Amino acid sequence: MKNCTIKTVLSAVMLASGLTADENKTPSVPDIVESRQETVVKLFGAGVGNLDSYGSGIIISEDGLVATVWNHLVNNGFLTAVTADGQRHEVIVVGTSLKHDLAILRLDTAEPQKFPFIDYKSSGALKTGDGLLAFSNEYHVATGNEPVSVMHGVLACETPLDAGLGRWQFPVKSPVYLIDAIVNNSGAAGGLVTDSRGVPVGMLGREIRHRDTNMWVNYAVPLRTLEPAISTILSGQRVRDDEPEEEDRVLLSDRKLTAVFGITVLPAILKKTPAYIDRIVPGSAAAAAELQRGDLVLMVEDDVIQSVEDLRAALATHRKGQSISLTVNRNDSLAVKTLVVP
Amino acid sequence: MTSLRRRILVLMAFLLTASAFAADVPETVKEREQRRIKTIEKIAPSVVCVMPASGAGGGSGVLISADGYAISNYHVTSGSGDFMKCGLNDGKLYDAVIVGIDPTGDVALIKLLGRDDFPFCEPGDSDAVRMGDEVVALGNPFLLAGDFTPTVTYGIVSGVRRYQYPAGTFLEYTDCIQVDASINPGNSGGPLFDIDGRWIGINGRASFEKRGRINTGAAYAISVRQVLLFVEHLRSGRIVDHARTEFTVETNDGVVEFSSVSQLSEPYRRGVRSGDELVSFAGRSLTSANDFKNILGILPEGTRVPMTWRNDDGIHRTTVRLLPLHGFEEAPELPGDRQPQPGDEDEQDKPQRPGRPGMQRKPPPPVPAQWKHLFKKQKGYANAYFNEQHMKRLVERLREAVPSELTKADTQWVFAVATEKSTGELGVSPKAAWLQWEGGRSSLQPAAEVAQSNEPDEFGGVLTALLQMRKFFRADDELFSETFFHGDEHIAPSGAHVEVVVTKDDLIKCRWYFMEGNPLPIGLDLQTGAGEDEARLRFDAWKTDSSVLYPSRIGVVDADREETDWMDVSSIRVGAPAK
Repeated sequence: MKNCTIKTVLSAVMLASGLTADENKTPSVPDIVESRQETVVKLFGAGVGNLDSYGSGIIISEDGLVATVWNHLVNNGFLTAVTADGQRHEVIVVGTSLKHDLAILRLDTAEPQKFPFIDYKSSGALKTGDGLLAFSNEYHVATGNEPVSVMHGVLACETPLDAGLGRWQFPVKSPVYLIDAIVNNSGAAGGLVTDSRGVPVGMLGREIRHRDTNMWVNYAVPLRTLEPAISTILSGQRVRDDEPEEEDRVLLSDRKLTAVFGITVLPAILKKTPAYIDRIVPGSAAAAAELQRGDLVLMVEDDVIQSVEDLRAALATHRKGQSISLTVNRNDSLAVKTLVVP
Repeated sequence: MTSLRRRILVLMAFLLTASAFAADVPETVKEREQRRIKTIEKIAPSVVCVMPASGAGGGSGVLISADGYAISNYHVTSGSGDFMKCGLNDGKLYDAVIVGIDPTGDVALIKLLGRDDFPFCEPGDSDAVRMGDEVVALGNPFLLAGDFTPTVTYGIVSGVRRYQYPAGTFLEYTDCIQVDASINPGNSGGPLFDIDGRWIGINGRASFEKRGRINTGAAYAISVRQVLLFVEHLRSGRIVDHARTEFTVETNDGVVEFSSVSQLSEPYRRGVRSGDELVSFAGRSLTSANDFKNILGILPEGTRVPMTWRNDDGIHRTTVRLLPLHGFEEAPELPGDRQPQPGDEDEQDKPQRPGRPGMQRKPPPPVPAQWKHLFKKQKGYANAYFNEQHMKRLVERLREAVPSELTKADTQWVFAVATEKSTGELGVSPKAAWLQWEGGRSSLQPAAEVAQSNEPDEFGGVLTALLQMRKFFRADDELFSETFFHGDEHIAPSGAHVEVVVTKDDLIKCRWYFMEGNPLPIGLDLQTGAGEDEARLRFDAWKTDSSVLYPSRIGVVDADREETDWMDVSSIRVGAPAK
């Protein structure tokens, strides 16, 4: 990660070269934008709570297959896609892959239609410092029959990402592109990233925060990472989720649970060891929250806690300074305690 | 200590790598860097830090003329008072006064004082801007420019012809330019330039969301085309308004159709009906109802714009007078979330404030006595002083040009007129106007109800217009209920660039058109009320000698053909009216 940071700073010096080198050989940025923007569709569906009712997608075949992020928009149905020329299409979900955070859709056309598309099988790759363009329906600014927005940036580094939102953990384990521009805005998920010559390289992911810093991450999943999954889905097979979801969770170690929160729990000897508090460190955050030995933790915020693993996972998602409510069973009655993360 | 040493080592390693790298920079990159540096050197002097006299808060602006006219956002000047302080990159602070405001479009015109050789920017063509074009934004984000040297941010055009919903009923951004250059609180009102240093927009808005009131890579600039269209009205000192039409449109299968057309409207009288296709408006073709919203949104009220439409008979061309949208009499209050939020700038300023030049926040100095006369408060105006100045200039010129013989209260004028086909007489006296033509005589008595409907249709309001002209030439404000300078615009059908004076006489509203260098009007458009076409007169080649004055030709614009029919004038007889 340190190596990555240094390269990032260096890459800023290369900003100009990234986008505009060799003007004689490559088309101008406006020309590239014009040719690529029409392969990105705007998605409109149902929002949930604070989640947006709009997103982006990349057309990956001439007959209207679209790759996007497998998020609430896809799950909630009633999804409409608007192409760059303003045409509206209902969409059908073809398949999904949990561990790629990927959904493949089909534009539902009454008659066969030819769409401008990108070839996901022959995508390019970015090196740290390369200039890039990001196309997306960010903030649904492009409300009319107009193309999506385009932004410019530089590849900061390619790295595995430990990030998520609340308890949801970003599932892609292989490295992703970190970008030095704020490209992952509302509605940008599913947008297209190309290199400075317009060669497709990645798909913008959903909005997530980094687990170490709690900062919003600007990133894209490389198309070459998505390619096998897209091919599998298109061949009609299911993408196997060979790792059960349970193991994806980040668990707070017993040591940290004691050192940071001042809580010691029963050792996890059973598959679901109840989350009984065994000991409270005097003067700790847990002590300040008036937690006691023998309390059984039933809930952290709105999440049901069924085991010590659940508790260690729930506490791992919260950040310094946050107040978390813990519902505990003490002497057969419920008590709600507020724990401030130290 | 170890940690510090490590940090120094990392820093040194970084510096070494960086300098080694610098040697390998390709020529093209160096050239582009030089080009950017030159561009920024060229444009930075025209960028303005706009601050209230108190020095608390502020925004940005850009100079557009050597005599100090500058553009900013309405939401910047709105909280800054009638007199402001403006800093330029020469490090100096100038007094400035508000001139005109456009609350709907979020544009304000101010005038910097004390010099007649201000540096100013060169406008570009915002319609030619393409997605992907490189841009630079200059301004005063977070009020960092302690010595008024503007901050420069770089980006590309993310979208063109964007629409941003109004805050309530105003501060609406239509046909604007979306950029990914960093725009933050304090940048408002500042200029957006293309990479060659041509001014293409005014940065005024950004999409802020969960990350707080800081840039997220999506900001919006008002197009310079819109700004320039409004500047011509803003210099009148008025609260300038946007436009509406008396019809609505909708998109139907990729075709823009009229959905409703008011029966009292001008387009209806020209034959436009719902279901007809709107092909182009104000010189731009349309593919959706959104396009129409975008085109209309950048036009000031009161202008007459061309329109092409199609029905079963074919394609037709006409012009439409744009009606006022809001008719603000007072500057509207900003919605809460658009009001200057001192916290944005001030709190971030605090830790750095000591020792920084030019930013000590003292109580506002009083308006210098030498500038006090430059502001006049009046309903309907941002600053009525500027309107008075323009009126004085135009009316005095007119008064000097019109022989006193002509404007004596009891004289009548009789023009000898002729067309290719016949001859006649056109007369106007204090009490009546008449046209004698091919043996017949039509007259109009102002003592009766003064309305075009009193005169025969074929005269197109000429007689009413002549009565108004007689009044106007006496250059006596008392004769009208209201007179004011409207601004500059291009008139139809000739396209001539004119200055417009408006007179109101009861229900009759006249727009008098003046061209540069000519004290006499080249025409007038006269409105009497809803449901009636305007009388549109044009005057050509004024003849003047010691005691008389007349245009060699008088033209009447035919609304259906949008063409001017001319008659020659061979003489004028001025004398006492016949009993």
